[in-house]
Amino acid sequence: MNLTSFLIRRAFMVIPLLVGVVFFTFMLVRVGGLDPVGLLAGPTATAEEFTMIRAELGLDQPLWKQFLIYAGNVIQGDLGESWLSNRPVLDDIAARAVISLELLFWGVGIGTFVGVPIGLRAAFNPNGRFDQSARILSLFGFSIPTYWLGLVMLFVFFYLLRWAPPGMGRISLMISSPDFVTGSYFIDSLVAGDWKAAHSSLSHLILPVTCLAIVSAAPIIKQTRAIALEVLSSDAVRYARACGLKPKTVRKIVFRNSATPVLTFIGTEITGLVGTMSLIEYVFAWGGLGQYGLNAIVRGDFTAVQGYVLVLALFSVLVFLIVDIVVAMIEPRIELN
Amino acid sequence: MKKNNLLTTCAIVAMAIMSTAASAETLIVASPQVPEGFDGDALKAHTQNVVVQTYENLVVYGKKMVNGRMVNDPSTVEPHLAESWKISEDGKTWVFTLKKGIKSPFGNELTADDVEWSWSKSFAQKRTGNFIARVSNVVGVKALSKYDVEFTLSAPSSIFLKALTLYVPGIYDSTETKKHATGDDPWALKWMQSNTAGFGAYHLDSLKPDDQAVYVANKNYFGGAVYFDKVIYKEVPSEASRVTLLKTGQVHLIERPSIQKVVDLQDDSNVRVDRASGRSIASARMNPKCKPFDDVRVRQAFNYAVDKNALNDAVFAGQADIAKSVVPPIVDGYNPNHFKYDYNPAKAKALLAEAGFPNGITEPIELLYADAFWHQEPIAIQIADMLKKVGVAVQPTRITTSEMRAKGSPKEMSMCFFTWEDGPIVLDPVYTMYLISHSKGVSNRSAYSNPRVDELIDMSREELDADKRLAMMDEAQKLWVEDAPWILTTYPATFEAMNPKVTGWVHYPDEHERWRELTMN
Repeated sequence: MNLTSFLIRRAFMVIPLLVGVVFFTFMLVRVGGLDPVGLLAGPTATAEEFTMIRAELGLDQPLWKQFLIYAGNVIQGDLGESWLSNRPVLDDIAARAVISLELLFWGVGIGTFVGVPIGLRAAFNPNGRFDQSARILSLFGFSIPTYWLGLVMLFVFFYLLRWAPPGMGRISLMISSPDFVTGSYFIDSLVAGDWKAAHSSLSHLILPVTCLAIVSAAPIIKQTRAIALEVLSSDAVRYARACGLKPKTVRKIVFRNSATPVLTFIGTEITGLVGTMSLIEYVFAWGGLGQYGLNAIVRGDFTAVQGYVLVLALFSVLVFLIVDIVVAMIEPRIELN
Repeated sequence: MKKNNLLTTCAIVAMAIMSTAASAETLIVASPQVPEGFDGDALKAHTQNVVVQTYENLVVYGKKMVNGRMVNDPSTVEPHLAESWKISEDGKTWVFTLKKGIKSPFGNELTADDVEWSWSKSFAQKRTGNFIARVSNVVGVKALSKYDVEFTLSAPSSIFLKALTLYVPGIYDSTETKKHATGDDPWALKWMQSNTAGFGAYHLDSLKPDDQAVYVANKNYFGGAVYFDKVIYKEVPSEASRVTLLKTGQVHLIERPSIQKVVDLQDDSNVRVDRASGRSIASARMNPKCKPFDDVRVRQAFNYAVDKNALNDAVFAGQADIAKSVVPPIVDGYNPNHFKYDYNPAKAKALLAEAGFPNGITEPIELLYADAFWHQEPIAIQIADMLKKVGVAVQPTRITTSEMRAKGSPKEMSMCFFTWEDGPIVLDPVYTMYLISHSKGVSNRSAYSNPRVDELIDMSREELDADKRLAMMDEAQKLWVEDAPWILTTYPATFEAMNPKVTGWVHYPDEHERWRELTMN
């Protein structure tokens, strides 16, 4: 099956999923007891003001009616307006998506780049010294709460050592941000040739990216090791060894055979890391989508929460799609279907 | 070998890259949130903190020195944008004459038309500004000439002049705002979500949501030059991060740290913590429409059962003031002498027995708390513990802040027992009791209702004789204490943490510093 028909089939499968996501989020925020009216109305609001605001937000309509209106808008690409900022949710999310993607890309990228080789090497000498240290490292990454890790890193590298910049966003306060090209300050300043801004934005990236890399590397190490061990005891590898192939060639075979499950795992991990990323963004005042979503949830900004969850669902779908395509490209035995 | 070299190189490169410096010419404030709107009538997150910097008032409180520091004196009111005012015989017509030559950053002069436009906007929106107008009995605002504006009241009001010191209704440069009005949006509300146009010392220059807001000094400010030309209001959601930034000198001011951070910061020589007695009251409120709170003896018993000193130590590190009246100490007319609920568990038990609970209350009562105020949860836990000692079972239960606001709203008031903090932003006893203890008060939240208290408040609102007013408010306070609708705990003090080189901080009843008053050594 070729790529186009695969994509079309995938799109059809995804539609019921998205409808379900929209429906459940919509109902959950309304039924869950969040009530933004009090927040919007302010400390001196009278009973009439409450009613007026409730009507403005459309909360006095029956639930099913509210849902139909919202769903109708979503199909046309209108995710509604945030009640607390009065800006269109789609604009808010679009502006922040790239900011979070930058962090995710570097963080998971480095986590993979570091984690996969470690996992592989650990599998080749199971229970050896390297393996033991790798397992301890991985356990460390698993058990540390992300929020705490971020704060400790700020404390050590900024407060104590002054090596890192303060956790105050993506670029130094005194440097004006580069003109918008991609939304990533680092890339945009490189494009504009603004070396000062590039330096500042890169330095601000280092701590949160390291934090995310540590947290994402841990499961990658563990899973890669497990997969590689399995592959090592498979028939293919036994046969290769029996044939007397060089250890280097055997390692290549293991690597090729582990690639698919490891990639699939990383795809799953990325979708799971979104929550962790919100905390990292919170600690470092990153201003990305995670921080936006957290704020919206806590303050009961329904439309923003709905938009945020929908975009996350879409993102997960996209990640899985890309993983499937890449796997099909590198694994000749699998066809896209 | 190869891997080691690579790692070392990476580390060196990383360290070489990390270095930044912060300038000290601008004022940098770290806040949990960038303001989401600049219209005082439609408060969004952190709107209040910043509208007071860009929009200033006809009058302000006078200032006086107390114990070597400058404080606001709520008993005097001084000219600010207005230079003088005249009151009619019957107290129902006030005419304010504006100072001449007051200009906005757009270069437009303040005229009576601006005042009229601004109040008309508040009337039309029917939000906070309208509430303030109602509380002060204002029914109309009209420009009489270029610099004279007339306020018409439905009845004399003792609160009106002080209410004019509030952040809302703000006074806008209507020449500028009218340019952004449309058919659907006659008051330019949409434009006001990300712009300011006032006659105050500062003006919004740029706004990046979730990142920062930058203000610049109004070059035409009538009050003369201000020290800080620029103020960066930076969003840093994590409190731990904000504290770190202050300690390392990266920011100059953080707003209202929680008490644990205050205690920590007080010990740090890189930080100065200023304290002012608060104007709000932390309490646990009891709704007389719920059993067992319909019996005043139960409410009084609960008051006797709570050891306020122990609570102050446990929750506020001993840094708050013990509460003895619903009117806080910095408001004139505060009378602590009616208060009689000293810690007396024996008396609590006796009262409970009298009310029909000789063996205490075994069916657990829910004590609701949220996270609007950091002390809600610890106070709830302390109170539950103390009530347990007199045989009352209490279950602290968390709900969201938005839920609590909704359930405490004037038309609902459905919570039976909950912790909250309220306080008057007009330092006036009548305003205080009208807001909190009147049966129609918008911050009542717990359906407290005493017809005689309502009557006293209603009469005081129109009584221009200060002595008569204070006498009525005294009686109201006494009745309120008798009714014991709240377990009064403390007046949490206000702490502002800043760089030691920043001076000039004065506490305002809305809890926001005024940037125009700050300087740096």
